Amino acid sequence: MRWRLPIAAILLFLPAPIAIVALSSVTSRGYLTFPPSSFSLRWYTEFLSSAEWLRALAISVLLAFSAACGSVLIAFLASQVIARKRFAGRSLLETLMLMPIIFPHAALGVAMLGIVSSLHWNGTFVGLVLAHVVLTVPYAYRPLIASIRALDPVMEEAAMSLGARPGTILKRVTLPLLRPGLITALVFAFVISFDEVTVTMFLVGPDMSTIPVRIFAQIQESASPVIAAISTVLIGFTVLIVALTQWLLGLEAFLDIGAGRSSRPAA
Amino acid sequence: MQLGRWLYLGLIPAILLLAGFFYALFTLVASAFVTDGVVGFARFASFFLRADYVDVLVRTLWIAGLTTAIAVVIGYPVAYLIARTRTGRTWLLMLVIAPWLTSVVVRTYGWMVILGNRGLINGFLQWAGLAGRPVPLMYNSFGIIVGLVHVLCPFMIIAIFSTLQQLDPALEEAAMSLRARPWRIFRKVLLPLTLPGVISGAIIVFLMATGAIVTPLLLGGLRDRMLGTQIFQEMFELFDFPKAATMAIILTVSAICVVLPLQWLERRVGRHLRTVEE
Repeated sequence: MRWRLPIAAILLFLPAPIAIVALSSVTSRGYLTFPPSSFSLRWYTEFLSSAEWLRALAISVLLAFSAACGSVLIAFLASQVIARKRFAGRSLLETLMLMPIIFPHAALGVAMLGIVSSLHWNGTFVGLVLAHVVLTVPYAYRPLIASIRALDPVMEEAAMSLGARPGTILKRVTLPLLRPGLITALVFAFVISFDEVTVTMFLVGPDMSTIPVRIFAQIQESASPVIAAISTVLIGFTVLIVALTQWLLGLEAFLDIGAGRSSRPAA
Repeated sequence: MQLGRWLYLGLIPAILLLAGFFYALFTLVASAFVTDGVVGFARFASFFLRADYVDVLVRTLWIAGLTTAIAVVIGYPVAYLIARTRTGRTWLLMLVIAPWLTSVVVRTYGWMVILGNRGLINGFLQWAGLAGRPVPLMYNSFGIIVGLVHVLCPFMIIAIFSTLQQLDPALEEAAMSLRARPWRIFRKVLLPLTLPGVISGAIIVFLMATGAIVTPLLLGGLRDRMLGTQIFQEMFELFDFPKAATMAIILTVSAICVVLPLQWLERRVGRHLRTVEE
């Protein structure tokens, strides 16, 4: 149909800048041009032979992994209680858990710097993990609470009536049923933490910086195409994660979180 | 599972985390309001007395507003296209989700390659002989808006898409069979039913745009500053934590002043739609 074409053009505008970064990363020149005049992988070699960049990459991966595990654990425990129990302040607690999302990141960065530096944790790994757990908890909480609410209590009751212990029920019934929610929460928290830059740059130190923050600092200093090479590696990571999630759960997993509406407790 | 009261222990980690978060907010407020041991609005008064700061605040709000408006206009048709495509929908979604999950720094860097003085567009214009010297496409508000729209558009598309998906295509077909024109179908059928998605997308885009630092700093430079850029500068060039805290509070409060009415509207529209359904 006629109307589809112009819209499809807009749709292609979304990946365009990313594709341009990836394509221009294979230049042999000392500055970035598009289209690249001649093919070379020298900037990838430079990235892979730089101890500093590799260290930043390792820190980013470790940080995202720790933050994802921490926030999924916290969100999992809290969502179990919130979904199963009725208590005063339940919906208030839920609102508060989702609150870090609605704070402008620039303000959040200053607030985090305040508390982290009062503990003398600025520029340390612990400080970064703490901040990233706060940032990722809402993203972990949403898929978890949604999957617990969708859980049919009959399954657990049946296991119980057959004499299974709470531990066995958790391991054999509850966790397997919640697996899609758990995977979504882990993937999402990991990606959000791995890409985060606005809040993180308030908290990094000279020896403790993540890869997006280093890219940001590098862009301001020089126009070296090594940034394009590193960016392309990050793009590769993202595409891999998206493809893996699509294969495991389907892309709908991303949409529920992206939709942005807080799941309200069923009254 | 019948774990009884023991289950409540599961709330402890979340409550500790929230306590830490609120302590951080408390520190922020305290350092903004307390000057030499005296509680007062001195820092806020000196912010609003400086014309250049007020300029930055006003620019932040209009850039965020314009970004949101453009994101709706661009995002709606894209969401509609995806929602009404049967075959290959996964691939179209991929085109939205993969950029969405790519780091903001990388995407902004892509725009620097496109918009810069030696960038793609200026290179083309000079090659084609259309411009003698580079057209300033970045280090100004234009560059910031282009970058922010691109970075935040996926949030809008996903929010609108998820409401469109729940909508029965039969509604549009019914309107079409009654010979309503496309624009009328959009205004009378689609838009009212998907308004909650549009509003919740607008809330997220607006909040993210007001709180952005990376995109405004890289594409706007230090001339067309936004509040995020200003906070970054106060913090890392002047090391003035109380001043940065004051600006952070002004930023948060002004963003909330715009978002609260939108949230109220979202709830009202949602309730209205539910009563209509019944």
